[in-house]
Parts: sequence; C-alpha cells; structure tokens
Amino acid sequence: MSEHVEPAVPVDPQNDFLVLDDVHTHFDMGKTLLTRESKGVVKAVDGVTLTVREGEILGLVGESGCGKSTLSRTVMQLIRPTSGRIFLEGKELSALSDTEIRKERINFQMIFQDPYASLNPRMTVLDTLSEAIRTRHPNVKGDALRARVAELLRTVGLNPNQMKRYPHEFSGGQRQRVAIARALAPEPKLIIADEPVSALDVSIQSQILNLLKRLTREMGLTMIFISHDLSVVRYIADRIAVMYLGRILELGEASDVVDHPLHIYTRALMSAIPRPDPTSEKTRSRIVLQGDPPSPMNPPEGCNFWPRSPIEHDERMKHEEPILTEIRPNHFATNCPFCVQAAAETEPA
Amino acid sequence: MALLEVKDLRTSFYTRDGVVRAVDGVSFSLDKGETLGIVGESGSGKSVTCYSLMRLIPEPPGRIDGGTAMFDGRDLLTMSKKELSKIRGNRISMIFQDPMTSLNPFLRISTQLIESLRLHYDVDKKTAINKAIAALEEVGIPEAAKRVHNYPHEFSGGMRQRVMIAMALITEPDLLIADEPTTALDVTVQAQIMDIIKKRQEDLGTAVILITHDLGVVAGTCDKVNVMYGGRMMESGTAEQVFYEAKHPYTRSLQKTIPSLQTKGEELYTIPGLPPDVSKPIHGCAFYPRCPYPKTGKPEGDRPELVEMADGHCYADCGFCDSSAPIETVLAKTDSPDEAIETGAAE
Repeated sequence: MSEHVEPAVPVDPQNDFLVLDDVHTHFDMGKTLLTRESKGVVKAVDGVTLTVREGEILGLVGESGCGKSTLSRTVMQLIRPTSGRIFLEGKELSALSDTEIRKERINFQMIFQDPYASLNPRMTVLDTLSEAIRTRHPNVKGDALRARVAELLRTVGLNPNQMKRYPHEFSGGQRQRVAIARALAPEPKLIIADEPVSALDVSIQSQILNLLKRLTREMGLTMIFISHDLSVVRYIADRIAVMYLGRILELGEASDVVDHPLHIYTRALMSAIPRPDPTSEKTRSRIVLQGDPPSPMNPPEGCNFWPRSPIEHDERMKHEEPILTEIRPNHFATNCPFCVQAAAETEPA
Repeated sequence: MALLEVKDLRTSFYTRDGVVRAVDGVSFSLDKGETLGIVGESGSGKSVTCYSLMRLIPEPPGRIDGGTAMFDGRDLLTMSKKELSKIRGNRISMIFQDPMTSLNPFLRISTQLIESLRLHYDVDKKTAINKAIAALEEVGIPEAAKRVHNYPHEFSGGMRQRVMIAMALITEPDLLIADEPTTALDVTVQAQIMDIIKKRQEDLGTAVILITHDLGVVAGTCDKVNVMYGGRMMESGTAEQVFYEAKHPYTRSLQKTIPSLQTKGEELYTIPGLPPDVSKPIHGCAFYPRCPYPKTGKPEGDRPELVEMADGHCYADCGFCDSSAPIETVLAKTDSPDEAIETGAAE
C-alpha cells in the first residue's frame, strides 16, 4: 500500500527521552479452520513516530479502538511491536529480551482506568505498596518499609493510618490515589496513565488531575496521559497527539492543538465536548461524525479519515497515504488537503 | 395534569451497619414531552430515585419508606405488581449506563427487541420483527434488516447503546428514564447518542428523565434540572435558571469543577471534602462541611427545605452562607487534596 516514508517528525534516539520510531503493532487473527485462509491482521498501531521529552506530559487522545491503549502497552513492552523501535533514554527497549525488560520496567509504570480492577482486592494497601517498593529496593524491610509506604500515601493525599485497609474500603477517587501511589513506588521515570479519570465523577476527576499534574512537576516525572476527552487532556498535557486508527493525525503544543486545531478530526473531537451552557448548546452547530471508527482490521486506504469526514475526499486522497507534516512551527498534522484545509478555511487567518 | 408527579419520595437501605437514607424526601413533576435532568455525584441518590419509581430497588435491604409517584393518575409506588408490569417496559422504559451488562449476551438482538412488544401488545412475530428493524433504522444502525439477528457482542459500545434506545422506545413509551446513558462512551459517540435521544423524543413526544453527573450533557438536552446531594434536591429549575442563576453553593461549586470551563495552567477547582455519609443523620445543610462560601453560623436541626424563590426556581437555603459572594475568593484555602481526604476519612 505505502512505502516507508521518512518521518517528518524529527527523532533523535540518543538524546530524546522516549522515542518511538515508526512503531507498528499488528495482531494476526489466525487462519480459518478449514480453508486455512488468513482471517486478517488488526493494525492497532500502524506507523507511529513520536518523541516524548523529559519532564513533559504528553496527552494521547482518540476514540476507543484508535490504538492508544495498544500504543501504551507497546511502550511498556507488554506487547512487543511488530516493527519499529522504541528507545528510553537511548536504550532500545524493543531489542531487549524478556528478562532484561523485566528489570527495566521499574523505570516505567502504568496507571489504569479502573482502580478496582487493577488493585488486588485481597491485598492491603500496605502489601500492594510494599511489593511495588521492593521491586526497586529488595532489601527494605520492617519499619523502613512502612515509613516509605506512609510517605507515599501522604504524597498522594491519603492518610497513612489507612494503610491496613483493603481496596474495597476506599471510594473510587481514593482507590485511584492508591493506584497512583503504587505506580510511584518503584520510583519510575515514565508513567503511562491510561484513562485514569474516565471512571470517576467530574468532581473527583479534578482532584486526580491536580494530583497527577503536581506529582509530575514535583518529582520530575514524564507522563503519557491517555484519554478520549480533550477537555481533560487540554488541562493536563503540555503537548497533545491525536490518534486515529493506529496513526497520529495531529501533534503539537496543547494550546495550539486545542485552540487552533489543524485537522478536522481534532475539531470534531473538540465540538463533541458538551458545553455547560444551555443557550449556546441548543443553538451551536457541531461537527457530528458519522458512525463509529472503521475496523482497524480493514482500515480505509489513503487518508484513513475519509469515510467519516464531513468533507468529501477526492480519489487521490482515498488511496495516497498522507504524511504527518509540520504545518505550523512545532505543530504537525497529516498533509491531507481535505482534512486540514477545511480547518484552516473556517478559522480567521 | 403532569405526566409524573413525585412527592416526598423516601427510599432507605436497611443494612447491618445501619439505615442508609439514599433518597430522603424528593419531589418533582414532569410534563409530557419534557426533559428533566437529575444531576449529582455518585451516592447522591439520583439513580435510587429513578429505580424507586420503577420499583427496581432490591427489597430487602431496600425499602420505599414513603411518598407518592403519580403517573397518569395512578401511584407507581403502591400499585400491584401486576398493574406495574403493564406499565413497566411499555409506558415507562429505561436505558442503563452499561449496554453490555444490560443486554443478554446469549440472545439475538431481535429476540430482545421484540420481547416487550410481544408481551404488551398482541402482535405476531413477523410484524414485531419488522417493527424492530424500523426501530433500529430510527436509531441509525446501518443494514438493520441484517443486523437485527446479530448477538450483542457483534456490536460496538455505541451501537449497543443505540440498540438499547431502540429497545426502550419500541413500545413508544410516555416516559423514558436514561441512567447515565453516555458515561461509558466516547465523547464523539456521546454526541451522536444524545442527538438520537433528542430526535426520538421529538418524534414520539416522550418525556425523558436523564440521570448524569455531567453538567455539560444536561445543558444541551434538558428543559428542567434537579441538582441532588446527599439524598435530597438542593436546587431545581429550568436549565437556564440552574446554569445562569445558580443559587445553591453546591450547584455553583459543581459548575466550577467542569474541566472545559477552566483556564489552562491553573490548578483545577475541586470541591473540598467528600459527599456526606447518608447512613448517619444529617443536621442542617448537608453541603455545609464542604461549602466554600463565607458563613455566618453553623446550621443546626432539620435539613433546609426546598423553597420556591422565583418562578419555578427552587433551592434549599440554609441561610447561613453568603452565596452572593464570588466563589474565587475562597478558592485558595480549600484546595488541598490532603485536607480533602482527611475530612472524608475521619470516621
């Protein structure tokens, strides 16, 4: 379909903190039982080139099924990429063996969407956090260990005398704080937060967002923050990458992407956010996308957004794959004229 | 006459650890074709209110302690099970948050879609299936005639929620109760689903009760809004009144927490503390411990009643806080997560 094109996003594996160089993660669906025909390949991540700078929060936005979770698991090396390379501080993670990656993994930790499912219900907070601390400091025991747990709990805004409790004794927001403490315990350099506030009430969301932002600043962490909600990402992220069907459609500083989106898909995501204002909400016109994202097993050729785009694409863009290009300084978007031009037209120059 | 008139509804759960007063005196009314939004945090009693109306509260431990819910002249809370089953799923339908758990994974969509039709009306299977196909087309499912025979797992989350809507509306009910219908969905799909509910409501003249914690969703769809907290209504009125002239400190705090309204770079506003524990008696205003406004005293005794202040705009005023003060003035000193947890965890 498309030859390998030089990525327009410059990468420097030796100096950048985290580098993804043309990463593909495909899932082979196997063969049918009788005819032995291939059932197809799900291209969950299909050529992502991205750098994450040290100390920044990169927001990764997209609808369900766009591959953002697969991408994060690929970075974690929980799923090995089909092709492409991933570097963390100059070390090629994708080339390490399973045993080596295990040792390396204390440097990058994950926070999941559902803190109830990601915490062991039969372990107290003390047990959970001790286990995580000992992945980096195997010899810490007794009072020293408890002191560390207490300190972690204080960091995430929990009361240290709650350390003997089980996850079910906490509310959703508190449980997410425990999950954050668990991720911080091995003193990682990189945290990947996969929809950490989607399961929480709006009022609790803000507390967790504030906490994550404060911790990244104070502890000098780097974070990839994954969400489908641009209104949340806009607040927490320094830069935003918009993902669609396994590819990055737009990448730039958070304020550029949110206030001056280049790609029509980003604008559609923005306009889908309900505004808490009855008058404007009842009258404003929105870009409502048609249907669900197409299946990544059979992605459309060319500019992969054309079947859902409100703007008709010509035959060329239905076959020719657009490239992520620097359209404004430090603001990248795929160079599909129909998707990007549309945004430019409606915006005052 | 109003389609639904709820008066002083009280629902409690009698657990080993005490009585949880989940709904503690809620009254509202709803006219034909109207949309009512019930907004509140988890545990505010918004879902229990609606489950009580449908008599879906598990008994025991739950019990409807009192109140009336007149639907078309008859009391939903006291009518016999037989009468109720004629109304439920026919004249009142419900959509739940998670379409995967509310559809039966073992049955084809067609079987589930026509169940209520066949139960409440004397229609043969073929007519019912045709109606089901039409219903799926109405909610925007492509190739409905083919898809109607699929199983739930063959649909995506957004599609499943469309099936739920089609199923709920197939009997053309007078009232649709939607419990967080879009919380599990992406924002783009959320916009589609809300459009479909709105459109079908206009076509059929259905009244809708929309339960949500997201004020943004309420703004675009609802005529009236009830704000619930600690099992009671704190404020109610038209959407315009509740959004533009919000009086109660809780409503105003809730509005401030919406991320899309806040300026980037600043710390997000959070309401300090945790929602009240409704298993313990609440004295005075339930929001008092978290109220960010300057106070002139501590409310004691009964919880303040919901009083009509202006045309249709009601709120429960404890009389001890100065809600005319701008909320920003008190932001700085209440915005510590540590403090928030500690007040909530002091048991």
